[in-house]
Amino acid sequence: MNKVLAGFVLVALIVSSIVILGMAAPFKVAFVTPSTINDLAWSQSMYDALVTIQNEMGKDNFQFVYSENMYVISDAAVAIRDYASQGYNLVIAHGSQYGGSLVDIAPDFPHTAFAWGSTANTFSDQGITNIFSYQPYSEQGGYVNGVLAAKLSKSGMMGVIGPIETGDAKRYTEGFQQGVMATNPKDKVSVTWTGSYSDVSLAAETARTMIQAGADVLTGTSQMVIGAIGVAKKEGALWFGYDVDQAPLAPKIVVSSVVVDWTVALRPMIALIQKGTLGGKVFPLTLANGGLKIAVNAEGLVGKTIDGIINGDIKVKE
Amino acid sequence: MNQRKLWDLLPRFTPILAVLLALLVGAVMLAILGTNPWEAYRALFIGAFGSTNALADTIVKATPLLFVGLGICIAFRGGVLNIGGEGQLVTGAIAATALALAIPTWPGWLIILVSLFAGMLAGAIWGGIAGLLKAHFNVNEILSTIMLNYIAVFGMNYLLRGPMMDPLQIKLGSFTPQTARLPRAADLPRLIPTRLHLGAAIAVVLAVAVYVLLWRTTIGFRIRTVGKNLRAALAAGIRTKRYMALSLVLAGAFAGLGGAVEVLGLHHRMFTDGSAFGFTGSAGFNGIVAALFGQLHPIGTIPASFFLGALLTGANKMQRVMQVPSALIGALNGLIVLLVVGSEIFRRRQMKHTDKLGSEQVSAADTKEEP
Repeated sequence: MNKVLAGFVLVALIVSSIVILGMAAPFKVAFVTPSTINDLAWSQSMYDALVTIQNEMGKDNFQFVYSENMYVISDAAVAIRDYASQGYNLVIAHGSQYGGSLVDIAPDFPHTAFAWGSTANTFSDQGITNIFSYQPYSEQGGYVNGVLAAKLSKSGMMGVIGPIETGDAKRYTEGFQQGVMATNPKDKVSVTWTGSYSDVSLAAETARTMIQAGADVLTGTSQMVIGAIGVAKKEGALWFGYDVDQAPLAPKIVVSSVVVDWTVALRPMIALIQKGTLGGKVFPLTLANGGLKIAVNAEGLVGKTIDGIINGDIKVKE
Repeated sequence: MNQRKLWDLLPRFTPILAVLLALLVGAVMLAILGTNPWEAYRALFIGAFGSTNALADTIVKATPLLFVGLGICIAFRGGVLNIGGEGQLVTGAIAATALALAIPTWPGWLIILVSLFAGMLAGAIWGGIAGLLKAHFNVNEILSTIMLNYIAVFGMNYLLRGPMMDPLQIKLGSFTPQTARLPRAADLPRLIPTRLHLGAAIAVVLAVAVYVLLWRTTIGFRIRTVGKNLRAALAAGIRTKRYMALSLVLAGAFAGLGGAVEVLGLHHRMFTDGSAFGFTGSAGFNGIVAALFGQLHPIGTIPASFFLGALLTGANKMQRVMQVPSALIGALNGLIVLLVVGSEIFRRRQMKHTDKLGSEQVSAADTKEEP
C-alpha cells in the first residue's frame, strides 16, 4: 500500500515538474529576413519589435535568433527548416517571397508555428493550420503622408520610389496617391518601380531624376530608399518615410514616417501559440489598432488626419 | 632534388592552400568580432556535413554550381570568358517553367524531358547571342554576356509580374511576382527523402560527358586548340570563330539546363525578388569559381562545386549558430574566391616554369587526387 502511495507521489511529482518546466521554458522565436537587421526599413522594423517584446517579457521568458541577408530564397528555406527542426516555438519568415517555401515546410513541423507577411494568406485553404500571416494596411499610412506631402509641396510634383509593385509597397504607394489627390487634385505623383529591394544606387539615381524633373517631395519603400534619402538631403527635397522612423537619416528633410509596429501583431500571436493555436489567423496592422504609427514633426495636421481615418470621416480605399 | 620535386607538386595544391589561407584570415576577422573562430568553423562544418539533411542541402547548393562550372570549363578552354551564367540560368529556368506550365496534363517524365530540353535550348540561345556577336562583330564576350544578364533579369521581372504571374496571386490581390506551382508530376524525383533531387546525378553524368567531349572528340580538340593558341589554330585550318561561338553556346546550354533543373528539382515554380540573385544565389558567378577551383577540368569541377556548396551552406548555418553579422559571411566567401582565383594565376606561372609537366597532365593528375 505504501509502495503504491509512494508511486503515486512520484508520478505526481514528475508530472508537475514537467508542467512547471514547460511553463518556465522561454518562448523561442527564429526570424529569417531578406536584408540586414539595421537596414532602417523592413527588417529593422521587425527586429526592433522583437527587441521590444523581449524587454517586455524578460530575457528568461523570451529569446530570439535571426538570419539576416537571406535574399536567396532557397537559403532562407534551409534556414526556416533548420530552425523548425530545432524546436523554436515560432519561426517568422519575414517576406512575401518566402510563402512558397513555407507551404512545403510547415506541414512537416505540426508543432511549430510559422508566420509570414505581408500577406493575408495563411494557406488554411490548403489545410495548413500552423501558419499565421501579418498584413500592414500601409495605404492608411500612405494616405497620411500623401496629405502632408500635398500641403507642403510647392511645385505640386511628387515622386514615389518603390521596389516591386506588390505587397505593402503597392498599398503604401496607392494610399499616398489617394492622400495627395484628396488634398490637391491638380498635383502630380510620378511612381517608379525600380524592380529591386536592395539597389541603393538605383534608388538614388531615380530620386535624382525625379528632382531634376521638378519634384520637391519624395517618398518610397524598402531598404534601398536610403540612397534616395541621401539625394533628397543633398538637393533639399522633402522626404516621407516608411517602415521605421527615418528622420535620423536626414532630420531636416524627413517630414514624417509611417512606422510599422509589429508588436501589435506579435503580442496576440504569441498569446495564441502559448494557448495552443499555431496558425490560421491574419493579423492586420492599421492606424486604428496601433500597428501603424506616424512619426512626425508636424503634429497638428497629421493628428487630425489620423483621427479622421480612425473615426471614419476620411475614407481610404484598400 | 627532393626540394625540386616538392616545388613541382605545389601547383596541384595551390587551390587547397588558398582556401586554408582564406580560412585563416577569416579566423582573424572572427576573433576581432569577438567570436570564437573554432566554434564558428565547427558550426560551418556541421552546417555543411553534420547530418543527412545538411549534406543533401550542400549537394543541392552545389548542383547549379556544377552545371554552370561545366559550361565554364568548355568556354574557358575555348578561350572565351562566359560571365553570363546568371542570365543563362534565368532564361533556362523561365523557359522550363513556361513549358511545364503549358503542358500540365502530359505524363510526368515527358514534361520533365521537354522542360529540361527547353531550358537547355534557351540557355544555349542566350549564350549563342554572345557567341554570334563575338564571331561576327568581334564584340567582347565579357561585356556582352554581362549585359545579357541584365536583359534576362528584366525579362524575368516583366514575365513574372505580367503574363506568367500566378493566377492565384492576382485573385488574392497580393501580386507576388511568381508563377503558379508546376504540376507535381513534373517534380524531379528525390534521391533520398531530403531536398536532394535527380539534378545532382544529371550534373555528375554530364561532367563525364564534358570530359569526353573535350578530350576524346575532334570538336573538343578544336575547342581546346582555339583556346590555347588562336594563331596556331588558324594556321591549322580550324574555323576559330565558329568554335568560339560554339563554346559560348555550350556554356549557355549547361547553365540553362542548370536553371531548368533548379526549377523542376527544387523550387517547382519561378519567382523573383527583382534581382537574379534571389533565384540563382549567384550560382552564375560562383560556378566560375568552382570551375577555376577545379582547374578548368570537368571532373575536377565536381569536388570543387561540392566544396563551394558546402562553404555556402555551412556559412549560413554559422550565421544561425553564432549570430555573426551576415556581412562577415559575405567577406569570408569573398576572401576564398579572391584567393582561389589569385592562386590560379600563381599556379599557371608555376606551370610555365615546370617543363616536365604539360598543363593537361597536371589537370588530369589533379582530378585523380580529388575525393
